[in-house]
Amino acid sequence: MPIHDTVSTVLVVEDEALVRMLGMDILEEAGFHVLEATSADEALGVLGGGSEVHLLFSDIDMPGSMDGLELAAVVKQRWPRVHLLVTSGHRDMHSIQLPEAGRFIRKPWTNNQLINCIREFVIN
Amino acid sequence: MQHPTGVGDGMIDFEELFEAAPCGYVLADRNGFLLRVNRTFSDWTGHSPDTLRGSRFLDLLSVPAKIFYETHFAPTLRMRRRLNEVALEIVSADGRKLPVFVNAVESGGEGTMDHQVRFAIFMAAERRGYERGLVEARERAEATIVSERADSELREQFIAILGHDLRNPLASISSGVRMLERERLSERGRKVTMLMSGSVVRATALIDNVLDFARGRLGGGITLCRDTSEPLEPVLRQVVSELRSIAPDQKIIARYALEEPVFCDRMRIGQLLSNLLGNALTHGAKDQPVKIDASTSRDELVIAVSNGGEPIESAALERLFQPFFRGHDRVRQGLGLGLHIASEIARAHGGALVARSDTVATTFVFTMPRAREADNVN
Repeated sequence: MPIHDTVSTVLVVEDEALVRMLGMDILEEAGFHVLEATSADEALGVLGGGSEVHLLFSDIDMPGSMDGLELAAVVKQRWPRVHLLVTSGHRDMHSIQLPEAGRFIRKPWTNNQLINCIREFVIN
Repeated sequence: MQHPTGVGDGMIDFEELFEAAPCGYVLADRNGFLLRVNRTFSDWTGHSPDTLRGSRFLDLLSVPAKIFYETHFAPTLRMRRRLNEVALEIVSADGRKLPVFVNAVESGGEGTMDHQVRFAIFMAAERRGYERGLVEARERAEATIVSERADSELREQFIAILGHDLRNPLASISSGVRMLERERLSERGRKVTMLMSGSVVRATALIDNVLDFARGRLGGGITLCRDTSEPLEPVLRQVVSELRSIAPDQKIIARYALEEPVFCDRMRIGQLLSNLLGNALTHGAKDQPVKIDASTSRDELVIAVSNGGEPIESAALERLFQPFFRGHDRVRQGLGLGLHIASEIARAHGGALVARSDTVATTFVFTMPRAREADNVN
């Protein structure tokens, strides 16, 4: 499936290094161009620096000035065309406030779950 | 019982018996004016019989005792002619208030000349002190309970935070293991990563259970997000495949017949199965397969997990679902929360978890209504 036509660059935001590396591995293997950030502030730096990002894939609970949900809200406002996918191991979809058209995936995700979830962005 | 010889009525000095009795005696006429008091009473109160002449019993009492005497004591005595163990306060000659217990009887016919009231007075300072001590002890005990409750709340909050914070490094280890699994590894390397995955699964389940338990104690209870939007089977398969890594050599036979949608919290049902399966793998005979049977009928979802091995005694069977219950077998691992949390998840879904055990197998059966109540009505 040519999913990379609409989503080809993913920005992975995750403070746990190994979790971030695994996520990047899975996405790179699936053919995405992957950028990384360890906090919301870093992520805004990447986005503001002119890199073209199609999908923001962010952890929710992170140290720093804002968490993943606040980051998603800011990104929605400033870069409305960026797709939003947030993840957490101890929240569930019903307990969070996501920007419109944003999606949630529960940790730990398997390779297939993650790829399928991103694929659904494209189909919808 | 016979009196000792020589101690007949004639030998008793009644005057002395009255004066030196181990309690105070007060005699009053029908209007309450004092007729006579004994020596014991005079000694205790410091009121000599002479100074009391012309006073009423009422005049000896403290103000609150006077009020009580007039509103309760006297009317009740008149009605019943007898009153026992009434707590009053007598004011001594030097102004001290003496706590006393008073028994009183009326004698003689009402309205007649020999109509008298007899009071027996008992010092109650020690008794009152004892009662005050009891009240204070109770207050101290209550204060202790309050502080222990606060302590245990703090402890449970601490557990909740610890569990929460343990999840992050554990997620890191899990991710690292998964990355290694993607590398080309020796057979030994693959075995190590598999066992590490198993340990991660066990630790995760432990943390989940402890967090649920602490939350339950803190009043959060088990919260559910129930829907039928996705099938349950993949979640159950995922749990089984994760738990295979805990005991790679043990055979697990799983059968799924989940044709109907189930209105449930899939993560929670997965946790329930994980706890039951973890329990079976830990306590069951290692040379016999663990069987899982998950099926839906018209009305119910049923998940049964069974293992071979020594049967569980019926006394233990009743306590299996209590928190921190641990059996007496050699395997003493885990906190004993798994089955408790599983039964709480069952209950939250309006279902039940039961256990039966014989020499053939030990089986846990979870049953819950398949559809939400409103759906059944329609």
